[in-house]
Amino acid sequence: MECLRCGNKDPAYFYKGSKGYYCRRCIRFSRLLLEEEPESFEYEIASGADEYHFSYELTPEQKDASAKCLKALANSDVLLNCVCGAGKTELAVESISSYLSRGLKVAYAIARREVVIELEKRFREIFPQADVISVYGSHHEKLNGDLIICTCHQLYRYYDTFDLLVLDEVDAFPLKGNETLMNIAIRSSRGRIIFSTATLDTGLKAILKKRRYETVELFIRPSHRPLSVPKLIFLNKFLAILCLYRIMALTANRCIIFVPDKRSCRNLYLIFSRLFSCTYVYSDLKERESNITAFRQGDHRFIFSTSVLERGITIRNVDVIILNFGKTFDQSNLIQMLGRVGRGMDSDGRSYIISDHFSKEVEKTMQYLKKANSYL
Amino acid sequence: MKCLYCDRKIEKYTFSSLFLKEDGLCCECRSRLIPKRKIINIRGMEVETFFEYDGMFRSLLLQYKECCDEALKDVFLYGISDYINLRYHGYRLLFVPSSQTKLKMRGFDHLEEMFSEVKLKRTGGLKMKRELTQEGRNREERNLMLNNYIYEGGPLKKVLIVDDVVTTGSSLAGVFRTIELFSPKIKVLALAYKKT
Repeated sequence: MECLRCGNKDPAYFYKGSKGYYCRRCIRFSRLLLEEEPESFEYEIASGADEYHFSYELTPEQKDASAKCLKALANSDVLLNCVCGAGKTELAVESISSYLSRGLKVAYAIARREVVIELEKRFREIFPQADVISVYGSHHEKLNGDLIICTCHQLYRYYDTFDLLVLDEVDAFPLKGNETLMNIAIRSSRGRIIFSTATLDTGLKAILKKRRYETVELFIRPSHRPLSVPKLIFLNKFLAILCLYRIMALTANRCIIFVPDKRSCRNLYLIFSRLFSCTYVYSDLKERESNITAFRQGDHRFIFSTSVLERGITIRNVDVIILNFGKTFDQSNLIQMLGRVGRGMDSDGRSYIISDHFSKEVEKTMQYLKKANSYL
Repeated sequence: MKCLYCDRKIEKYTFSSLFLKEDGLCCECRSRLIPKRKIINIRGMEVETFFEYDGMFRSLLLQYKECCDEALKDVFLYGISDYINLRYHGYRLLFVPSSQTKLKMRGFDHLEEMFSEVKLKRTGGLKMKRELTQEGRNREERNLMLNNYIYEGGPLKKVLIVDDVVTTGSSLAGVFRTIELFSPKIKVLALAYKKT
């Protein structure tokens, strides 16, 4: 017994229902009977869909990495290991174009809905003649096109379909530690996969061990500026709030303040909203979208956030303060959060980690930043 | 044994689990699905409910109905089925019919499966005139359900009308209207109520 969609072989996960045996490991995606073959898609790629152009020039390092990526795909999968803000999306464009020109099916999968919507717009500009479609949450009326941009969860709709699958942010939720979803993602591809990440962790290494892959690294941002190295401040919780007040009062930039949980997010917002123009956001907040938009547009100078804002947000001249209490943030969280600083060509900012102890995760983060900055 | 919802191994057991049948949920998941009996008055009917359609109940019901996870059929009435057997002794169960399309897609009647542990006699003969679904419909549109049922069975002494979730009560009221011509004593039960 094997589930074709998620690869489960454990008999404990098979249940005999009215229509026959089905796999319960991937049941939340829909019921797939054991004798059923998941749906796969065929689609004729429109001519000219592969033509692409950037509204900006890629750096020589980006061009080099992009060519390496395409070359490596001829023989194996690719691990794109780049620092935050290095332009991972741009590096995959040449490979995508090459596959489209050969009439092969391509998808770009990423964790979050908001990023899918943003990427769809970007890819429409990059590939003006291609039918770029997005699939996420309740937006799944059209499932087939020249280039599919979707959330990782939506890959269950495409079994054995893609000749090239770009899996972005493999180190993050929901792919991180989710073996079922990772298997579904891998099984949606019948050809090559580009695993794209900024923080290569042991979980991803274990997955890659089973596959043939080549690593393409890019540790230089297009701006040639180093990654922001945070100022470490060790204080207890009470003094941390005073310190936070001081930093907020002195900085001229806008600022993202990452906090470990929703409760502290709301409470700090309630305290500081009397003193500064600020807003807050966490995953299931109803006003999530409007608060993020207000911060992006500059209506507020400060935003308190849980890890929801660690990815997919680019704001020029932004500072980052991380309140690292407890064990909520690991190395990949910290790197992504710090990666919000200095994105774009002439952007600047500072970063701080305020904590009550020097954790291993912080130590690993500092080592990573040191290594990444040594390439400059 | 693994929890049917979170997949974690069931290691802890509660005192009540010593007396009841084996639960499909672990203690943590069960603690988020504790029945709280509530009688609600809707469209002139007294409807007995046990859960609020929210959080855990909602997730489980969606997985059961929309993802067709039949394995979950016994978790909803765990600890309640004995109560229903005693409380409604002598009543006949009448399930609010689902649309044929959904039945065909699922391959099972979700209410019948859920109430498989309830020992009351069943009665059939209730049909939908037209295939109407309630998803995404507003209150006015849901009123179409009021005259959408037809009963083709004989007279009944005592009937217990059963549905999974009551929102506006239009389905239950539709069935109630149809059945009251055939039965002098009718009670209504819905597993959960949805705040509107």
